[in-house]
Amino acid sequence: MNANDLIDAYVADVAVQLPRRQRNDVAFELRALLGEELQAKSDVSGRGVDAAMARELLRDFGHPDVVAIRYRPVFTIIDPADGHHFFQAALIGLAVIWGLGALAQLQQPIESGSDLVLALGRWWGGTLISSLWWPGALVAWFATASWVRRRWPSTGEWQPRAKDRITGGRAALLMGMFGIVLGLCILFEPRGLLNLFWARGAAPAAVDALTYTEAFRQRQGTWLFVLLLLNIPIMVGVFIRGHWTPGLRRLDLALGLLVCAVMAWTVLDGPVFVTAVSDQTIKAVMLIIIVCALVARGIQYYRSVTPMPDTPVQAQGSH
Amino acid sequence: MTYCATNSTVYDMGNEVTFNKLELELRRGVVVLATLSQLRAPRYGYELRQALADRGMPIEEGTLYPLLRRLETQGVLKSEWKIEEGPPRRYYSLNADGRKLLKKLTDSWQGMNDAMGRLLKED
Repeated sequence: MNANDLIDAYVADVAVQLPRRQRNDVAFELRALLGEELQAKSDVSGRGVDAAMARELLRDFGHPDVVAIRYRPVFTIIDPADGHHFFQAALIGLAVIWGLGALAQLQQPIESGSDLVLALGRWWGGTLISSLWWPGALVAWFATASWVRRRWPSTGEWQPRAKDRITGGRAALLMGMFGIVLGLCILFEPRGLLNLFWARGAAPAAVDALTYTEAFRQRQGTWLFVLLLLNIPIMVGVFIRGHWTPGLRRLDLALGLLVCAVMAWTVLDGPVFVTAVSDQTIKAVMLIIIVCALVARGIQYYRSVTPMPDTPVQAQGSH
Repeated sequence: MTYCATNSTVYDMGNEVTFNKLELELRRGVVVLATLSQLRAPRYGYELRQALADRGMPIEEGTLYPLLRRLETQGVLKSEWKIEEGPPRRYYSLNADGRKLLKKLTDSWQGMNDAMGRLLKED
């Protein structure tokens, strides 16, 4: 290719990325400008225009993709401010999906190397590839958020949130208390639910399904009941004050961790219900609650901020 | 000895890279003002680049030529194809909005320049 061919190829690669209405005009101008730049380069160097000189000029000018971007207004799909959140959400989501997929595969018996390869193949095809919906959904979400912020800038304004606020307000707290009271009633006597819906008496199988073992009732059941009950005074305290205090926060945290510990003990210990199916179900539910509670506490800890210097503060004049 | 020399070279290279990046940011901040300042009268791309370079503000061609189109899209430049000497060329100049923008940016720049002068003046 001679110098003119190189310039034509370069101009075409830039112009093809521009909107159709300005493509030809920019191409015509850019070709003329590059021709003048090349001629000037030749005049300075004292040698005739050649392909090597044109290549050098075009390399300095920039990659056609980069130059084409410079011709257009900046187009952002995900705001730079959201980049970190996007990356974090994508990574955590993928880790959870892949982990659950791997767990599901581990449920199948793996007795030989070929079983393992087959399980890996199923995990690759069924989990890994199909998990790409998650980053795609996140792109759509963040792109929409970015568009909304540009379209209605007031929606993106920072809103101060008090550190000790009650999430959802007092109404949410009341609903929480109601939930705990309901939980206590069910924990005390789950068969009461049946009497509530079937006044004439439920089927014996249903009654059996909701009958605690004596061991659970006397051991973990009592602990769980007391710990759940202790949530009520904490919530009442928060309700009266209208906000959380550091002391109530600490109590809530300690209580939450204790409840998780007792639930973990329940899952690992003997049966909760006399029938196996109910027992497996309640233990699965408890496991989910433990994981969710611990993840929520972990996120809370990760997001906590305590303003303090990294290194000891030196008093002026001291060494 | 070799270790120290290598470390020193890496440190210098790091400093050079940092300097180049920061200097580029400084230049980016003034490219638009410099360009607008030279378009009170119509000029075509290459002529404008020469004018800027002659006045001590060389701007890479890959930056300047697309910038002219962007400024025109933003409504501060007008342009037209003309034949004066040689081939047809697209001439750019400030329109009314561009002149107002140049005035405001010049005032702003002079304010910042004075402030920087005071900040950088050694006691």
